[in-house]
Amino acid sequence: MRTRTWAPYALIAPTLLLMAVFLVYPIASVGWFSLRQHTVTQPWKNAFIGLENFRRMLFEDPLFWQSLMFSAKWVVVEVGLQLVLGLVLALIVNETFIGRAVARALVFSPWAVSGVLTTGIWILLYNPSTGVFQQLAQWGIGDPGTSVLGDPATVFPATVVTELWRGVPFFAILLLADLQTIPNDLYEAAAVDGAGRWRRFVSVTLPHLRDAIVLSTLLRAVWEFNNVDLIYTLTGGGPANQTTTLPLYVARKAVDSHDFGYGSALTMAGFAILLFFSVLYLRLSKFGSRA
Amino acid sequence: MRRLLVALALVLSACSATSDGPTTITFWDNNGGPGRTPIYQELIKRFEAANPDIKIEYVGVPSSSVQQKYDTAIAGGSTPDVGGVTTSYLAHLVGQDALEPADDRLDNGPLKGKLLPGLLETVRQTAPDGKLYAVPASGNMDIIWYRSDRFEENKISEPSTWDDLAKAAAQLTKPAENQYGFTIRGGAGSIFQLLSEAYSYSGVEKFYDGGRSTVNDPRNAELVRKVAELYKKATPEADVNNNYTQMVAQFTGGTVAMMHHNLGSTADVMKALGPERVGAMPLPKGPSGKRTVVPNPTDGFAVFKGGKNRDAAWKFVEFLTSAESNGYWNEKVGQIPANTDVRGAEWIQKNPAVKMALGVLEDPATVLVPAPVYLPEYSSITKTDTEPLYQKVLLGQMPAQQFLDELAAKLTTAQQDWEKRK
Repeated sequence: MRTRTWAPYALIAPTLLLMAVFLVYPIASVGWFSLRQHTVTQPWKNAFIGLENFRRMLFEDPLFWQSLMFSAKWVVVEVGLQLVLGLVLALIVNETFIGRAVARALVFSPWAVSGVLTTGIWILLYNPSTGVFQQLAQWGIGDPGTSVLGDPATVFPATVVTELWRGVPFFAILLLADLQTIPNDLYEAAAVDGAGRWRRFVSVTLPHLRDAIVLSTLLRAVWEFNNVDLIYTLTGGGPANQTTTLPLYVARKAVDSHDFGYGSALTMAGFAILLFFSVLYLRLSKFGSRA
Repeated sequence: MRRLLVALALVLSACSATSDGPTTITFWDNNGGPGRTPIYQELIKRFEAANPDIKIEYVGVPSSSVQQKYDTAIAGGSTPDVGGVTTSYLAHLVGQDALEPADDRLDNGPLKGKLLPGLLETVRQTAPDGKLYAVPASGNMDIIWYRSDRFEENKISEPSTWDDLAKAAAQLTKPAENQYGFTIRGGAGSIFQLLSEAYSYSGVEKFYDGGRSTVNDPRNAELVRKVAELYKKATPEADVNNNYTQMVAQFTGGTVAMMHHNLGSTADVMKALGPERVGAMPLPKGPSGKRTVVPNPTDGFAVFKGGKNRDAAWKFVEFLTSAESNGYWNEKVGQIPANTDVRGAEWIQKNPAVKMALGVLEDPATVLVPAPVYLPEYSSITKTDTEPLYQKVLLGQMPAQQFLDELAAKLTTAQQDWEKRK
């Protein structure tokens, strides 16, 4: 009978070990660094400084608040637009029409493109001397030499469009998969009861998609919050920090300035925020509690 | 037990005994790429032919990531034997105690008295103990490349003051034809260029005066304002994000007529446009009429403490900085050779940019104003902290004086820390 007592532990041990190595240890070490002054270029200053990094972050660093606000704006705009456009696309390619297979493949293709490559494509499109806007200027629309990534008024929409191009297919894929599981008799029954197209969408489709929407918005919100590759390569957080998100600020502090102590404190702030919103979001949407 | 000890001793002595095979040393090129790798490969071939007992393993590291690669190597104990370094991150490596001083080796070797004193000085300045942690190989200077053909077409003569330059830039700007007079480096690497423009204009002769940074001198601010005035009027709008690659592409692609960079872009510029369409001039002076120059980081070779074959490593460094190799290398890349025996070489007479730069450096009236690249915080202050602020100035969101005040305050604090540690 002894085997019974250790067998379950032995079976979950690999999982626990992997979690300890890849989750607990990194988080704990970032937590520890966040309490230290730790700069690679000035090792003689490295020391335990308690909550000093957090004090500096909250009270003396306007860029922390600015980047946090930008992150919030970025996540809300990106996830909101991606959800709406993704849903629209999913509904369209869920209909039966000629060339549907080709349309589906085209809709999903941007998702297969990496962030850096997406940037490469869009930098060419936005190029002031050879891109889309130069062509428009030749047709008399706008000024020649317009640089959408250089103008503080247009850099945000330009970045949003770039990320939308890549992010919308993610929602479209997930929602389409869920759309296809909705039994057709539900729609037929609704139609018999006299429900129109809109009513069927609101009363049948949306409730059915709820879990998929909750899950995908949550995942996407976390990913967009942590999005570094696209913004870093497209704008570098500029001009003048206009597009600096919190993770981008972390990258600049830790990787470029080698200030790992302060960078870790910023990371902990991001971690806490994401944790809070994840829990809150799951609670509010009562994920997994559906009977 | 004793037998074990004997065996251990045998093993140890076998390890330390000189083996018959050649010694291999690793060399990191800090600016590897299609331009420079073949030059080093040729030099390594020559070195190995002359020293059959030493083999060189060449590793070309792109300059944009070299500092990070060195950091990782130091942290992981896998540094190369010899590494190419520039003074812009030398202090950073010295701070991590990674390099061996070169003073004794130089004094007792063939290079004694052969290296340009000015370049040796810029290397020494980067170390708190004043020792020489890298052997300088190559000097560089900020210059303005200009399209001599367009200047001729528009009957404009080479500007010698900043106001002349601004006038010429305005004249050469035709947005409808996608042509602009000047280009501003507003993105990565902007601050060093801005400071060298500012000091050339202001004539301020010291970077620090009584421990306080002179960066925010009103005359420097005047220049920053003048540069910002050019933005979008005589430069492309995209310049606010301009990094090195984009800037050079604009110039070599024919969009802009003048570009401030340094001798480092010689190969790119000449390859694209050829000597008949390009000229080089020093940075314009300001109203003071003085020639003040912020020297560009000096390129050189360092021997790492972690290497096992330091004698072989030094031999390689001495070879690379010998008159023949140093002349060959600098001729190919178009920079100022550190070895004074090279200065009479014919190719220098034929290279207008290098000749012009040497002329400026050798002119007794020229005052060198070295930037404090030795400060461990220098890179984080001038890049992470200040580059976005300069973009604000260009976009009209921040006054030039306030921008320089903030920069000066940080540089002053960092310098005071540095003085304390000396």
